[in-house]
Amino acid sequence: MSKSDSKRQAILENAYRLFRAQGFDGTSMAHITSEVGGSKATLYSHFPSKEELFVECMMAALENYMSDTLKHLDASRSDPETALRNFGTSVLNFICSPEQVEVRRLMIAEAARSGTGKLFFDKIAALRSQISSFLAACMASGLLRRDDPDLAADHLGALLEAEILEPLLLHVREAAPDEEETALAARRAVAAFLRAYAPTTARMKAPAGPNAPVRRLPPHEL
Amino acid sequence: MKTKTESKRQAIIQAAAEVFREVGFDRASMSDIRERVGGSKATLYNYFPSKEKLFFEVMHHAKEVELEAITGELNADAGDLKRELVRFGQKFLAVLYSADAIAVRRLSIAESRHSDIGRLSFEQAVAPIEKQVTEFLRRVMKREALRTADPKIAAMHLLSLLESELLQRVLLGVIDGVKPEAINGAVRRAVDVFLSGYERR
Repeated sequence: MSKSDSKRQAILENAYRLFRAQGFDGTSMAHITSEVGGSKATLYSHFPSKEELFVECMMAALENYMSDTLKHLDASRSDPETALRNFGTSVLNFICSPEQVEVRRLMIAEAARSGTGKLFFDKIAALRSQISSFLAACMASGLLRRDDPDLAADHLGALLEAEILEPLLLHVREAAPDEEETALAARRAVAAFLRAYAPTTARMKAPAGPNAPVRRLPPHEL
Repeated sequence: MKTKTESKRQAIIQAAAEVFREVGFDRASMSDIRERVGGSKATLYNYFPSKEKLFFEVMHHAKEVELEAITGELNADAGDLKRELVRFGQKFLAVLYSADAIAVRRLSIAESRHSDIGRLSFEQAVAPIEKQVTEFLRRVMKREALRTADPKIAAMHLLSLLESELLQRVLLGVIDGVKPEAINGAVRRAVDVFLSGYERR
């Protein structure tokens, strides 16, 4: 690791700790500088704004986690149900963790004030595209019916979050769900998803044609 | 304690609406609102025990009533279930994605750690709507138009699917508003997936 890389790493670690302890508003670039050591100019040379630093911190945690989680999708392609259940449970354990609930809360809170929400969304979209790839492969091999894999990934994500996320975001419940609860929610979500996206004989034989699903509008047309 | 009057209550709500719109929830204070409406702070607190409650009254209540009315229209005996769900979804999302409703939702989430807005939002909007949809689906399942499943889980799946394509984008400010045709498409796709996930085989 070069000197600059280790500096960057030190900044990210300290900032992550401060953001988690004090939230976005309660953490200043000055405070981060004093924790890391060095000058404010150095800090800004790595991260031009507090928003960007915040997104980097939180997304670094997300990416570390997701690289582990995504392995579930490679491991057992022959059985998409098991793969999706394990994957879903793992995703839920992560996004329902207190830190990640707080990240999402902050991103939504910040959305009205800065471009942070967009940066965050781009990162989510990049990760989601890996789920889409898995679903596209399942569609290609006939394990799922053919449809827009990005749309299928949105639907899968929504089903996974459906039971648990909202009460956490609204702080109606504080305790993160345990493994048993996330596994149950994932099982139900994946069951509904697989029924909805199950291949039918007719659908499997029919290539894209007049009955092909209507594609979504790309984001700029929304 | 003086008798509360509806006209005073309305005057407070009116003043609070102005203040919230001008400076936002964070920076609005009960003192600002009291100044605008006149009278004592004790009177204000007698009507509304907290800024959160007042905000809710002002912004949330209108949206919540609208959403509950839309949900209440769900007819479990409708002959064409798909059409019923699409109609519901389109009306529901049109309100949910309105600028005011998004502002309230953002605020509920953002403030939930520091105030009881999040809990109020959940108890007064999320939970009742979920309950109505649950009852609707319970009846639809009973008349065997959908497979038998836990109607509460099915309701959460339906609502989450409806929001799946656009909510995150809107909440995170990636898009500013949603055109009706985008809502219509998203609703059709969500309802298709919901129905094939819950149809009888």
